[in-house]
Amino acid sequence: MLLKNLETYNWRNINGIAVWNPDLNLIYGENGQGKTNWLEAIYLLATTKSFRTQRLQEGVKYDNHTAFVRGTVSRNQNIHRELQVTLQGAVKTLTVNGKRETTAAYLGQLHAYAFTANELDTIRGTPEARRKFLDRGVASLHQSYVHTLADYNRVVKQKNRLLQEKFTDPNDISKIKQQIEIWNFQLVKLGTEIHHARVEYVEKLNEKLRRDLFGAETYAIRYVSSLGGKGDLADYERLFATRLEVRLQAEMQAGYSLIGTHRDDLEITFDNRSLRIYGSSGQHRSALILLDLAAIDVYYEWHQEYPLFVMDDVDAELDARRLSLLLQQLEGRTQTFITTSDEDLRHRFTGRATAYKIVAGCIEL
Amino acid sequence: MLEYSEPVTKLIDEFKRLPGIGQKSAQRLAFHVMRMAEADVERFSNAMMEVKRRIVFCDVCNNLTDVNPCRFCSNPGRDHSMICIVEEPFNLVSVEKTRSYKGVYHVLHGSLSPIRGISPDDLKLANLLPRLKPENNNDTEVKEIILATNPNTEGEATASYIARLLKPLSVKVTRIAMGMPVGSDLEYVDEVTMDKALSNRHEI
Repeated sequence: MLLKNLETYNWRNINGIAVWNPDLNLIYGENGQGKTNWLEAIYLLATTKSFRTQRLQEGVKYDNHTAFVRGTVSRNQNIHRELQVTLQGAVKTLTVNGKRETTAAYLGQLHAYAFTANELDTIRGTPEARRKFLDRGVASLHQSYVHTLADYNRVVKQKNRLLQEKFTDPNDISKIKQQIEIWNFQLVKLGTEIHHARVEYVEKLNEKLRRDLFGAETYAIRYVSSLGGKGDLADYERLFATRLEVRLQAEMQAGYSLIGTHRDDLEITFDNRSLRIYGSSGQHRSALILLDLAAIDVYYEWHQEYPLFVMDDVDAELDARRLSLLLQQLEGRTQTFITTSDEDLRHRFTGRATAYKIVAGCIEL
Repeated sequence: MLEYSEPVTKLIDEFKRLPGIGQKSAQRLAFHVMRMAEADVERFSNAMMEVKRRIVFCDVCNNLTDVNPCRFCSNPGRDHSMICIVEEPFNLVSVEKTRSYKGVYHVLHGSLSPIRGISPDDLKLANLLPRLKPENNNDTEVKEIILATNPNTEGEATASYIARLLKPLSVKVTRIAMGMPVGSDLEYVDEVTMDKALSNRHEI
């Protein structure tokens, strides 16, 4: 898929129209001019979300009520669609070719992967950030996975509420146990679906992972189930159910759910060492790039279409060698958008890239 | 100072207690009431009082009814060997509209949800088990219980709770199927429903 152009209106400090290069787009300019805002607008059009804030109304230009981003997306030479995300206060409206669409219908139209400072949490943050990375990946292939996850989280919440009850009467305790078992029954069904989906996704990533792209070290990933070492993971459903039975007492003591897919992690190593603990920040960035590249390839294999790739502030995130390697990998794959304050960068990619200078929110021609 | 005179404010406040009614709707309704003919207002308030005075829970199935036992439970033409369990009275109406179900009902008035503080004791379940004895059921043996609770996490939990409850009694317990809405085109079915329908497919 290709984003042909983008028009913005009152999105942060930017206004105007840009016509994009199908390969590489360099957005450059002084600090505080609005480079990232353009990138964010592209991301907003693709995902209906921002990579900077949960509250989209913060993005509407100060003293204004309405903002929109609108762009033409080409699926191939003959299929072009106009997408638009309109914000009126806190209300978000999505349209395709001028007609209002549901979020589910809209999201299939354009897909983007983002490499931003926040995304580094996938490498060095909590297991939750890594589970999110996997869940986003699975959902990019199977939309219905989103509902499985939501149901699972709801069941955990319901169960935790029961686990918080404090009783001393043995009669009450056995009543609560009975109820917990009911929720465990659903937890096992949903958790098993999640486990298999994530394991399968990690397998796919592993097939695509270019482990030694950056030369010096070899990266590897592995899905780590919190039930690992407790029995036969191949029969996850049975193992999960058994563990829940065995650990019921402990869960009641703790007052919250101790086992399930919400305690799993993705292990990332370089040369067989934990990346999170022993990796340098450069190695963290290398690994995130490799994960993103693999995710892009998995996405392509499934949809036969490449997503967009957006990357904020490459000067801060990557040295010249890594950036070259990355852009080389992306060539012929994704339509790529990067921001930089280094004006010279465009000379290194003449022929391939179009450069856009941003001054006070506008693209200077 | 009150924005509206006391009787108007009181009425608006009462409307606001109703589900789905906020300040603006309450205002609109209150002003509508003021413009209504007095006889219409009287009829309306009588209807509300009457519902409150005359509608009770059926002793047998907990359905809302003006005669006790309700018209389903006291109808000898219904098949008393089949009990369909639903969450709310309006769910019963949905099943009834099919006109293909001839059994009787049991209304729970809720579904299990610890977050909302609803435990099995809060569901109207106490009078279910006695119904399975023929002497309490028009001398008819109950052959099947259909669990028609909602297909969400709370409805599923409720269904499996009741299934466990009934297990020692060796009565046949079934769960309504999930999948494609009939009479619609495949293209209009959302992915989750399609997914369920695919995994619940059967041989023909």
